[in-house]
Amino acid sequence: MENRPLEYDYTVAKLFMYNAIFVGVAGMLAGVILAWQMAFPQFNYILGVNFAEYTNFGRLRAIHTDSVIYGFVLSAVWSSWYYIGQRVLKVSMAESKLLMFVGKAHFWIYMAASVIIVIGLQLGITSSKEYSEFEWPIDAGIVIVWVLWGISIFGLIGIRREKSLYISIWYFIATFLAVAMLHIFNNAEIPTYFASGGIGAWYHSVSMYAGTNDALVQWWFGHNAVAFVLTTPIIAMIYYFLPKESGQAVYSYKLSLLAFWGLMFVYLWAGGHHLLFSTVPDWMQTMGSVFSVVLILPSWGSAVNMLLTMRGEWQQVATSPLIKFMVMASTFYMFSTLEGPIQAIKSVNALAHFTDWIIGHVHDGALGWVGFMVIAAIFHMAPRIFKREIYSRSLMSTQFWIQTLGVILYFTSMWIAGITQGMMWRAHDEYGNLAYSFIDTVVVLHPYFTIRAVGGTLYLVGMFMFAYNMYKTMTSSRVIEESELQNATPMGA
Amino acid sequence: MFHWLEKNPFFFAVAVFVVIAFAGLVEILPNFAQASRPVVGAKPYSTLELTGRLVYIKNNCNGCHSQLIRPFKSETDRYGHYSLSGEYAYDRPFLWGSKRTGPDLMRVGNYRTTDWHENHMKDPAAVVPGSIMPAYTWLYKNIADVDTAYAEQLTVQKFFAVPYNKELPMADGSKVTVALADTLEGARASALEEAKVVAADMKDQSVKDAVAAGNVPEIVALIAYLNRLK
Amino acid sequence: MDIATFQAYGFFFFTAFMVVVLYSYIYHLYSSQKKGTRDYEKYGNIALNDDITDQPIEMVSKDDETKK
Repeated sequence: MENRPLEYDYTVAKLFMYNAIFVGVAGMLAGVILAWQMAFPQFNYILGVNFAEYTNFGRLRAIHTDSVIYGFVLSAVWSSWYYIGQRVLKVSMAESKLLMFVGKAHFWIYMAASVIIVIGLQLGITSSKEYSEFEWPIDAGIVIVWVLWGISIFGLIGIRREKSLYISIWYFIATFLAVAMLHIFNNAEIPTYFASGGIGAWYHSVSMYAGTNDALVQWWFGHNAVAFVLTTPIIAMIYYFLPKESGQAVYSYKLSLLAFWGLMFVYLWAGGHHLLFSTVPDWMQTMGSVFSVVLILPSWGSAVNMLLTMRGEWQQVATSPLIKFMVMASTFYMFSTLEGPIQAIKSVNALAHFTDWIIGHVHDGALGWVGFMVIAAIFHMAPRIFKREIYSRSLMSTQFWIQTLGVILYFTSMWIAGITQGMMWRAHDEYGNLAYSFIDTVVVLHPYFTIRAVGGTLYLVGMFMFAYNMYKTMTSSRVIEESELQNATPMGA
Repeated sequence: MFHWLEKNPFFFAVAVFVVIAFAGLVEILPNFAQASRPVVGAKPYSTLELTGRLVYIKNNCNGCHSQLIRPFKSETDRYGHYSLSGEYAYDRPFLWGSKRTGPDLMRVGNYRTTDWHENHMKDPAAVVPGSIMPAYTWLYKNIADVDTAYAEQLTVQKFFAVPYNKELPMADGSKVTVALADTLEGARASALEEAKVVAADMKDQSVKDAVAAGNVPEIVALIAYLNRLK
Repeated sequence: MDIATFQAYGFFFFTAFMVVVLYSYIYHLYSSQKKGTRDYEKYGNIALNDDITDQPIEMVSKDDETKK
């Protein structure tokens, strides 16, 4: 045998994991505040009227979306990368000083950028583009973080022992490439301070695209940011964690190949469904609509592959809360990848666009699929990283049910709210006049906004239980032997 | 066919990139030049209007208000003529929004006044009972950043040939020229002139005093922008 | 033939071509598995046998395998 190090090195995975848990709680807290603001506007002044400039809905919204997407999810994705990457390539980070340094630099530069982003958004420094609100200095910083991750991916692949790249690695590579492309094109902008010879705010910039073009590029980005931050890396995670945790190899490797290439090809076309009935050319709208429906196939390909991986082992769903999280995640994935295409059908979109149904759709995907998978991934990794069992199985189980209830309250209330509002906007009386003034369609939503806020709060309560469980797991739970870590994650009562 | 691909990270990455970039090439590039042509009647933003637009962005008004009227009877009845691509030719960035927690604002200048906005922004629920919009009291105190708006005007004039100081045809056959000052001092002065017109219709004494003292509160710039949306 | 007609034909044939590619790829995957020329499913075990001391499914280079 050649001379191998004894262990995988999870230093960087650990750092990202801490951040994912912290930002998960903080970002969802911001979301819960927003939800209560919609139901009861006085929550805009929670720190008093004098601070309303910083606590109102408009300012907090971007902080919520960006911290959950780029703080919570991306940290968990990177934690998983620095964990899964080593294992499926069978090479330790400890074997390369360079990769270790790059990994740490990746984390700390990312942390620095995150802090600046939160402060900037709080002050109202924004380019207004959804999920890409950052001004040019941050955009440049993001490029650095991304390049460091790229070095880490291809560096680790370069020194691998396992010749064939496992399914998860494909999805990580796709995430890296697609986000790089999207970020650069969507943030093509000119800093006004330099262009005007030193006038005004130094951080301000103006988009290279105008009006309809800007919208087109933004939603090509916006839709695919969802695809390549909230979908492909999460698929990367489930393709590793579900087989590993259940001890069952993936149901069909061939199906995973088909689903992968299908998803790569189809996903990028679908951005046009955000712009139906807008001023972008009709054929692009139709294209967006059609490809969104086609997208069901590769999405369900992965999801079905995951569920069938459990074949003959369904009793594990009953016994292991960790498997519960993952099976529920893939179920929600199927659910929201069916709901999305339905909303992308033109006649449905005419009703649903601009309403809360869209918010509901985003959240059954984000809370049910992404959130649950991230939580499951961390539950699986923590005992292996910290060499301690999960502190409490019953707490984990309770968390699962509370959060599931939260998600259900969330999306059902938003369905009703969205469809109600959409129908009221278009209602005409017998003389052809509009039946309702706009404010009528706002007031009627109050009960649904309240239910949604309750649902969100439940999910947040679950996050606090998760954070507590993880804290105990990291610090004081029973120390375990290597031999206990084969498949099912060891858990305390 | 692909059994070798999963073992060659370089070619694998190239293949993924080709597949994902393809859609963008086909979908986005062809109509790029065409979609950005201004319609007759579109005109660039004046210094104060653009300042107000930056205030609009800073407070994420686009998080709850769209600026996109779809071609349905229910929307044209409520908000006015449906949106045309050429109307957005000077919008960098676009502000269509993705959610209507509040009504569309694409043509709000047609049916709301300075006075209405002044009262509404101070206490929305007092003007529209049941409104869930928060009060934007800080807009009455903060001084708007005219300089950055001017820098943006210079930038778009230089890089995108936005027609400042040129005669532009309007829909009714008249001609309009949007002036852009040569110097920063000139830009500040012209923004202040515009601000005085808006402030004359306002009642808030502190805002009037600020404008008289040569400052432009954010609310004044924002209202100038909203009045211009037609 | 104007550009729109040309685009329409192009689009149709491209779609047909993609369908053929997709189905032949599926056929290729499953037939080579069945004939035994290639076992795809063994790669699924990469995730299961992933301890650093486990034997890789396929070593990166043949030399490593002959060395031991």
